[in-house]
Amino acid sequence: MLRVAGLTMRYPNGKVALAGFDLSVAAGELVVVLGGNGSGKTTLLRCVSRMLRPSAGEIWLNGVDLAALYGERLRQARLPLAMIWQHASLVRRRSVLSNVAAGGLGRHGGLWTAFGGLPAAERRAALYHLSEVGLPHLAAQRAGTLSGGQAQRVAIARALTQRPQALLADEPVASLDPEAADDIMRLLRHLAAEDNLAVLCVLHQVELAYAYADRVVGIRDGRMAFDLPSADVPREAVRQLYLSEAA
Amino acid sequence: MSLDAAVPRLAERGWAAALALALRAVILLLLVLVVVQSAIVVHARPQDLVTGVFGMADIIRRAMPPDFAKIDLVWWPALETVDIAIFGTLGGIIMALPLAILAAENVTPSRPLYYAARGVIGFARAVPDLVWALLFVTAVGLGPFPGALALSVHSIGMLGRLFAETIEQMDMAPIDALTLTGARRMQVFSHGVVPSILPALTGIALYRLDENIRSSLVLGFVGAGGIGFELLSAMSLFQYQLVSLYLIITFIIVIAAERLSALVRARLA
Repeated sequence: MLRVAGLTMRYPNGKVALAGFDLSVAAGELVVVLGGNGSGKTTLLRCVSRMLRPSAGEIWLNGVDLAALYGERLRQARLPLAMIWQHASLVRRRSVLSNVAAGGLGRHGGLWTAFGGLPAAERRAALYHLSEVGLPHLAAQRAGTLSGGQAQRVAIARALTQRPQALLADEPVASLDPEAADDIMRLLRHLAAEDNLAVLCVLHQVELAYAYADRVVGIRDGRMAFDLPSADVPREAVRQLYLSEAA
Repeated sequence: MSLDAAVPRLAERGWAAALALALRAVILLLLVLVVVQSAIVVHARPQDLVTGVFGMADIIRRAMPPDFAKIDLVWWPALETVDIAIFGTLGGIIMALPLAILAAENVTPSRPLYYAARGVIGFARAVPDLVWALLFVTAVGLGPFPGALALSVHSIGMLGRLFAETIEQMDMAPIDALTLTGARRMQVFSHGVVPSILPALTGIALYRLDENIRSSLVLGFVGAGGIGFELLSAMSLFQYQLVSLYLIITFIIVIAAERLSALVRARLA
């Protein structure tokens, strides 16, 4: 489903954030990436989503190499790839429903959506996905009034309205309390299994990785430290990831 | 710290304090010099205020009571004044918004367009609205239309700059998130940028409308219509009771616009 090969990211200041990184995520699989600060986790997601242009390497999604595309062709090819962030990144003054329905805009051209309109079909889909994340009763509420956990669920519903086949999550529980963090990870686990999504999630919470991931990938200095089923990941290997940061 | 070591430090601090005091004295002297030279340049003569009191009192006496019998003469110029400001502000918004998008660092499509837009905004602001009014009176003749055009063009300066600053201070995270859903540029703009900044832009536009109502009163003095034009005519004809009536209506319009604008802006905040 999602495959990264030889991904390298060298910043203009010469810092190598990713050095020939290889990774694949199958449909229905939840892969968690662990690593210390500055290890290259976020750069990995930003390259895969093509927010950043990698210096070298391939990003295969549905048989198309995103790394080789630009402009309109990249936009089209990236449609099945959704992303959620540490902060929900909702438009605070719009309703929850409008925020969720906006996830489907990429499928619509024309003046109606260009000037702020939302197709009825997307509104219906938005309501369905809001139900999927357990918040249909908040549809009419302004997004700026939501709690952190609710906002993150709405962001996930927006990602689902995009009809993705792969979902990238950049520290989606970093600003949530433990209970809300568990809820979000349970939801991601459920979506991977039920919607057959390939989920690639960057986390700092080691216990959540053990609890919910199918596989855990360790990253250190832009290189893969390990890639193992979560049950097989030695505690010592994880500790080493963060030790190198402290050193 | 021993006493021997502390003594030189205290001496140093004494010199530093003396230097700071001297610097303050120099700054104070400079400020006094600036005030004195400005008084000389403007030929400030306080004695004229005393002798002029009788002239002012005479004008006020002749302006009282206001000639309310001629109130019918006031409605149309009053409406004209408000409409000059409304048209001028709307014209300014329509021209300033696209310029602000080009002039906002975080959304501008290219650097040359950014500098061009900043240049236009700066020029519109640098030229006073009275000068714009004189130019437009020359171009399209006397009346309210050149006044409205002058306010439109001059408003680009303030509106363009504040709109651009609002866009630059906008939280970009929802915009990036929308872009990554695959939304097109116009969709990101209408579904992400506009809802995020609309309340702030509305507040700025209302503040400008309030300013423009006050400006449109003055523009009448150079032939650009409204109450200002009628006020000048009445003064030229020594109709001081009519002048006082115009001034009362002007006061009511300015205060009403200011209160209304402040009220709506407070609700938007």
